[in-house]
Amino acid sequence: MMIKDVIPGFELYRPATIADAIALLDEHKADVWKLAGGNDSLSWFKDRIKRPKVVIDLTGITEMQGVKETPDGIEIGTLTKISEIEKDPVINKSYKLLAEAASKVASPQIRNTGTIGGNVSQDARCWYYRSGLPCYRAGGNTCFSDTPEGQNREHAIFDANRCVAVSQSDMAPTMIALDAKMVIRNAKGDRVVSAEEFFVGPKIDIRRLTQLQPEDLLVAIRIPKEWAGARFYFEKVTDRATWDFALVNVAAAVQTDASGTVSNSRIAVGGVAATPRRCGVAEQTIKGQKVDQSLAELAGKSETRGAHPLNYNAFKIPLMANLVMRAVRDAQA
Amino acid sequence: MAEDCRIAHGGDAHALHDHPAASDGPLSEIVRIKASRRSFIKGVIASGATLGATGYLFRASSAQAKSVGAVERLISLNVNGQTRRVDVLPYETLANTLRYKLGLTGTKLSCDRGECGACTVIADGITIYSCTTLTHAVAGKKITTIEGIAKGGELHPVQKAFIAEIGPQCGFCTPGQVLSAVALLQVNPHPTIEEARRAMSGNLCRCGSYNQYLAGVMRAAKGDFASTGGSNG
Amino acid sequence: MADYRLVGKNFTPPDMIAKVTGTAKFSEDFQAEGMLHAKMVLSPMPHARVRNIDTSAALKIKGVVAIITPDDVPQFPPPVDPILYREPVFAGAPIAAVAAESEEIAAAAVEAIKVDLEQLNHVVDPLDSLYPGGVNAFSGGNVANVKLPLQTVKWTAKDFAGFDQGNMPLGKPSEEWHYGDLDAGFAKAKVIIERSFQTAGTSHHTMETRSNMAYWQNGKCYVHGSMQSQSFVLPQIARMLGVKPADVVFIAEYCGGGFGSKGNAYPLVVISGHLSKKANGRPVMLRVSREEEYANGSARAGFQGWAKIGFAEDGRITALDIFVVQDNGPNIGFWDFRNAGETAQVVYQPEAMRWRGTAVLTNTPPRGPQRGPGENQTAMTIEPLLDEAARKLGVDRLEIRRINAPDNDGFEGEDAKGKLTSAYLKDALVKGGQLFDWEAKKKLSGKRNGNKVIGVGIGSAFHAAGSNGFDGLVRILPDGKLYVHSGVGNLGTYSYASTSRVPAEVLGYKWENVVIVHGRSDNHLPWMIGQFGSNTTYTASRGNYVAAVDAKTKLLEIGATVMGGAATDYDLKDERVVHKTDASKSLSFADAAKKAIELGGKYSGKDLPPDINPLTKASATALAGSGLMGVAKDKLPKRGLVPGLVAGFCMIELDRETGQFEIMEYLGVADCGTVLHPEGLQTQMLGGSMMGFGLATTERIVYDHQLGLPANVQFDQAKPKTYLDMPKKFSWSAVDRPDRDNPVGVKGIGEPIMGAAASALINAIADALGGTYFHRTPVVRDMIVNALADRPQSYKPLQANTM
Repeated sequence: MMIKDVIPGFELYRPATIADAIALLDEHKADVWKLAGGNDSLSWFKDRIKRPKVVIDLTGITEMQGVKETPDGIEIGTLTKISEIEKDPVINKSYKLLAEAASKVASPQIRNTGTIGGNVSQDARCWYYRSGLPCYRAGGNTCFSDTPEGQNREHAIFDANRCVAVSQSDMAPTMIALDAKMVIRNAKGDRVVSAEEFFVGPKIDIRRLTQLQPEDLLVAIRIPKEWAGARFYFEKVTDRATWDFALVNVAAAVQTDASGTVSNSRIAVGGVAATPRRCGVAEQTIKGQKVDQSLAELAGKSETRGAHPLNYNAFKIPLMANLVMRAVRDAQA
Repeated sequence: MAEDCRIAHGGDAHALHDHPAASDGPLSEIVRIKASRRSFIKGVIASGATLGATGYLFRASSAQAKSVGAVERLISLNVNGQTRRVDVLPYETLANTLRYKLGLTGTKLSCDRGECGACTVIADGITIYSCTTLTHAVAGKKITTIEGIAKGGELHPVQKAFIAEIGPQCGFCTPGQVLSAVALLQVNPHPTIEEARRAMSGNLCRCGSYNQYLAGVMRAAKGDFASTGGSNG
Repeated sequence: MADYRLVGKNFTPPDMIAKVTGTAKFSEDFQAEGMLHAKMVLSPMPHARVRNIDTSAALKIKGVVAIITPDDVPQFPPPVDPILYREPVFAGAPIAAVAAESEEIAAAAVEAIKVDLEQLNHVVDPLDSLYPGGVNAFSGGNVANVKLPLQTVKWTAKDFAGFDQGNMPLGKPSEEWHYGDLDAGFAKAKVIIERSFQTAGTSHHTMETRSNMAYWQNGKCYVHGSMQSQSFVLPQIARMLGVKPADVVFIAEYCGGGFGSKGNAYPLVVISGHLSKKANGRPVMLRVSREEEYANGSARAGFQGWAKIGFAEDGRITALDIFVVQDNGPNIGFWDFRNAGETAQVVYQPEAMRWRGTAVLTNTPPRGPQRGPGENQTAMTIEPLLDEAARKLGVDRLEIRRINAPDNDGFEGEDAKGKLTSAYLKDALVKGGQLFDWEAKKKLSGKRNGNKVIGVGIGSAFHAAGSNGFDGLVRILPDGKLYVHSGVGNLGTYSYASTSRVPAEVLGYKWENVVIVHGRSDNHLPWMIGQFGSNTTYTASRGNYVAAVDAKTKLLEIGATVMGGAATDYDLKDERVVHKTDASKSLSFADAAKKAIELGGKYSGKDLPPDINPLTKASATALAGSGLMGVAKDKLPKRGLVPGLVAGFCMIELDRETGQFEIMEYLGVADCGTVLHPEGLQTQMLGGSMMGFGLATTERIVYDHQLGLPANVQFDQAKPKTYLDMPKKFSWSAVDRPDRDNPVGVKGIGEPIMGAAASALINAIADALGGTYFHRTPVVRDMIVNALADRPQSYKPLQANTM
C-alpha cells in the first residue's frame, strides 16, 4: 500500500479569467491539473497516484460561474456549484430535472463546493483503478475487474471494451436527457459538442470518460429551451441514503400533448456503462403512445437487451429496467 | 435537571491545562507540550502557530523558486473574525492550516477525503469540508470554525441543545455537527425536521447519535436555548 | 432500593462542554515542541516475507531522524499481532516506520526505503484454506485464536462434498461442547430448520483513527493514544514498549470511538514510542490515515457456518446444533466463534445443544472484538431461523421468542448448569410487543401501497455484560469533596461518569461535590475494567461501590474516634458524619478527611488491603496521606453470567422496483437491570441500533481474491449509516428491573442493542419479500433486487470477503 494523505508538492495557479487559465494550460500542457471543487482532485493527490507539477485552481474565474438565461435556453457556467443548481429559480421553474439530480449528489458539503463542470467530468470510481493498479485506464495493459474473481458489483453491463468502469455522475445523465451542449475552449478556440459526444467510452479513449483533453477547458453548459417545462424524472439507487454513488441512476425528459400522448422524450441511464447511456429504444417505444404500466415495463425491459453482466452486477439489469420503466411511467411536470 | 461536576486533569508537573495565551486570542487554543531532549517538561503552554519546529507540511523543496503567476504563499486568512497572515503552501488543505498552523484543533480529521464531515467549517455562510479544500482557494472568505461558535464565553444555542440532548458520544464528529447545524439555522432558522436531517446529512457519526443531534437542532431552532446576547454564530 | 438520589437520574456528563466547543483534546490534537512526524512502510502484498530492508537511501534524506524495523521492537510468539512484520500477512501491514522533521520528509523517506519482499501465496476465504492443499495465511499454520494454539488444519474433500450445493462443510472442529440428548431433541421436534450461513466481517472505522504521540523523559515513556481505558491497557502498552508498567504514562482523556477495537492495546499505539526512543526521546507523532486505519484498525470476524434447530409444536427449541468457522484475520483474533455458542444457548435456552467451531487465518485485516463479537453475528443468523420455524409452525413470531427466552432461572455454560444473575428478555419482548403494537403491526406484513410493501420483524440479542474482581479507589480530601479515581475510558457511553455516581450515592454526596479523576494513568487510577464488552456499568459500579463502602466504614469509625461511642452509633448525612440520636455530635467530611490524614494507617491509604491489584496498590501508595481513602477489591457475590439482553421491533417499507427500503419504525427494549443513566442509555439504544442497521445491510469487508487487496476502504465504500438512513420513528424502552448481583442493580447493554436492531431489520426485509431469507449478511441492495426480480444471486454460497 502506498503512503496516503501527504500531498506531493505542486505549484498552484489561481487565474482570474478564462483567458489566463487557457494560457496556463497551453504553457504547462501535460503536467497540468485542473482543479475546481477539489472533492475528487484532492483524493487523487492524497493517494499520491496523480502527481501533477502544476495545478490550476479555476474557482477564482467569475465568468465561469452562475446560471443565465439566453434566447436559446440557459447557459450554466461550469464552476456553478451543485447547491446553486439545486436552488436556482430558473432551473427550478423550467429545468427541474437538473435541480433534482443536483439534490441527490453526495452530501451538502460536497454540493456546496462541487461544481457542475467537475461533476460531469469526474473520473471513474472503479476501485481497482483508484487503488493505483496499472490497469488499462491507468495506462497499463490489463483489467483487474473483469476477471473470474474480480469484484465488479459497481461495474458496466454495457459497452465494455477492455475497461469495465462506469460513469457514476448524477448530473451526466441529465445532460443527455436535456440535450445539453458543452462549450469547450482551448488556445485554438471554442468547440461546442453535444452531451452525447462529450462523454466517451473506452472504445474511443480508455484513459478518459469525456473528450476533454489536458489543454481543454469546459467553460459552459448550454441547455436548449426545447426541453423547458417538460415532464421530468430523476432517480438514483444507492446502498445508503447519503454520500453514495449511484448503482444505477436515470434521468428523463418527456413531452406529451394535451391528450397525454408522448410526443418526444430523452432518457439516459448512468452506472451501466462508461458513459451515461441514452435509452433510444425506450424513447421509440413510447413515442406517439399513451404510457401505461405495461408499455412502461416494455420500455424498461427492451432497453436492457444486449446487457452483458459481469460476475457480481447482473442485478443492474432488472434495476435499470425498472428505473427506465419508472422514468417513463412517473415523469412529472 | 442536569447537575454539574468537574473533571480533574491532575495537578502535577505533567498536567495539561488549557489557558489562552495572552497575546494570541482565540486563534491559539492548541495545547503544546514544551519539550526538549534534556529539559524536564515544566508544563504546557498554549501558543500560536509560529512557535516551535513542528512541521506537518514543511519540506526541503518548499523553498524552491516559484514560477511567475503562481500563488503568493503568505496570505491573509479571516478566521473566526480575526485576520491572520499565514504562510501557506500551494498544496496545503484548509484543515491542515487550521489545525497545524493556526492551532485550531477543534476541526477534526477523520477520513481526510471529504466523506465524513468531521472537518466541516463554514466559509462565507456555507458548510465545506476543510480537508478537501485548498487553503489558497478560500483566501478572502470568512471562515468560521468550532472555536468561533461560542461568543464571549457563552455557548451557542446549538451547543447548549447538543448538551441537553446528549448529542455527542465519543465527541470526535461533534465540532462538525455543530457547524452544520449553526450554518443551517443561519439561513433557515425554523427548519422542518426533514430539512434539518438533510442539512446534517454530510456529517457522519459512527456512534450513531443522529437522533440526538437532530433533536438538538430542532430544540435550538425552537428557541429553547436562545442566547441572552449575540447572534447565531 | 427505589429511593436512589443519583442512580437512574439524568445528569450532564462533565466533558460535554469540551466536546461541543472543540476543546476536547484527542491524541492528534497535541503538539510538542521539537515534535517529529512518523510515517509507516506498509506491505503492498497480502502475504510476503521480508528478505531485506535497505534504509540507506532514506537515512540520507535531510530531516530523517529515526527509522525502526522489526529488529527494533519486541517480538511476540505467533499468532500474537506483531508490531512490525517480518512476514506481512495482510496488505497494509507495517514493516518499518520513519520519524522525520516533517510528514513530507517522512513520506519521502518511506518511498526511499527499499523493502525486498518475497511474495507468498495468500488466501482470503477460510474455507479455501481448510480445503485439502489450501493456502495457509501464515507460514506457521492456518488455525489459531486466543487459547487455540497455532496449527495447520486441512479438512477432507469428502467434507466439501455438498459445498457446490451451498452446504457448509462440517469438518473437524478445533473445539466443541454439548449437553443434553441432541438426537432425542431432534426426534421429538415438529419442525427442523437446517441452514448454512455466512456473515461478512466489518471494519470498526472509528471516527478517530489510532493516531498517537509519544516522548521519553527520565526513563519514562509518555504515550498519547486513543484507547477505551486508561488503566486496563497499561500493562499491555508497557509490554509492547518493552518496559515495566511503572515506566509508562498513558494519556487518553478522550477516545474518538472504539467499538471494541481500542479495548486492548494495539500495536500501532507503540510505534511513536519506539521511534521516539530511537530519536533520543524527542516527541513523535504518528498521524494514522483512514486507509492505514482500515488495514490496522481491527475488524469484526466473519462467520461461515451451519445450524440445525429442532422446534416443538409450540415453538420451544428441543435441540440446537451449530457449527461456526470464524474468519480470524491473520493473527490471534478474538473468540467470536465461541460467543456464538454461548449466545445461542443463553438467548434460546435449548433443551439439548451442541456447539462446534474453529478459527481460520486469512490474509485480511487483523480481527478483534467489535460490539457484540460473535453475539451479533449469531443474532443475524439464528433469528431468521426462528421466523422460518414460526412460519412453518404457524406460531407467532413474538411468541416463539418469548417461549424460548431466558428468565431468572435461565442457565448457561457447557454443562448448562451455570446460572444467570438476572434475565428479563421475556419481559422485554412483551413490553416491546405492547409499545410497538405488534398485534396490529404484524397484520400489516406484506401490505402493498403501490410499489411499496411493508415488512415487520423482531430480533433479540445478548452479550455477557458484567465482570468482577476489579478494584475501586475513592478519596475524600480536606476540601470535603469526593474524588473518584476511574480508569474507565471515555468512549462516549458516559459510563466513566455514571458509574462514578455510585460512590456518591453510597456516601450521600451531592454530585457537584464529586470530582472524577481520570484521563491519564499518572492520575493514580485503580485497576479497573475499560469501557468495553458492555461490562463497564456492571463491573465498574461494583468496584466503585466497594471502595465507597470502605470509605463509609472509615468515616463512621472516625466519627466514633472523634466524637465517642461506636461506629454503629453514626450515620452519614449531608456530607457529615452524624450521631444517630444526638444531633449535636456531627463531623464534616472535610474534617473527617483531616482526621484521616492525622490517623494515617488504613484511613489515609498508608495501610492497604492485601488483595488489591499491584496497579491499584501503586496508585493508592502515591496518594496515601492526602485524605480519607476508600480502596477495595470487588469481592461481592456473583452467581454466574450477567446477560445484557435486547429485543428489537422493526417495520420497513420496501420498494419492490428498486429494492430500496425505509425503516418506518424501530423500537429497542433493553434488559439492562436498573437504568443507571436514562439519557446515556438512550444514546446507546439509538446509536447502537444505527450501527446494527449498517451491520445488517451495508457494511462489509470485500477483498479481491486474486490480489488480496481491499475494495471497501473509505467511508463511501464501507458505508456506515447516515442521517438519512435513520428510522422515521425511532424509540427505545427498558424493562428496568434490578440485577440480583449488582449492588445498585445495574448491568451493561451496549452490544446487544446492535444485534437486536440488525436481526430485526433482516427479518423485516425477509418479511417484506414474503419470506425470502438470505442466510447471508449484509443483505445488500443487489440481493434484494435479484430476489424481487426472481433472478439468481451473484454471490457464491458461503464465499467470504466477496461482494
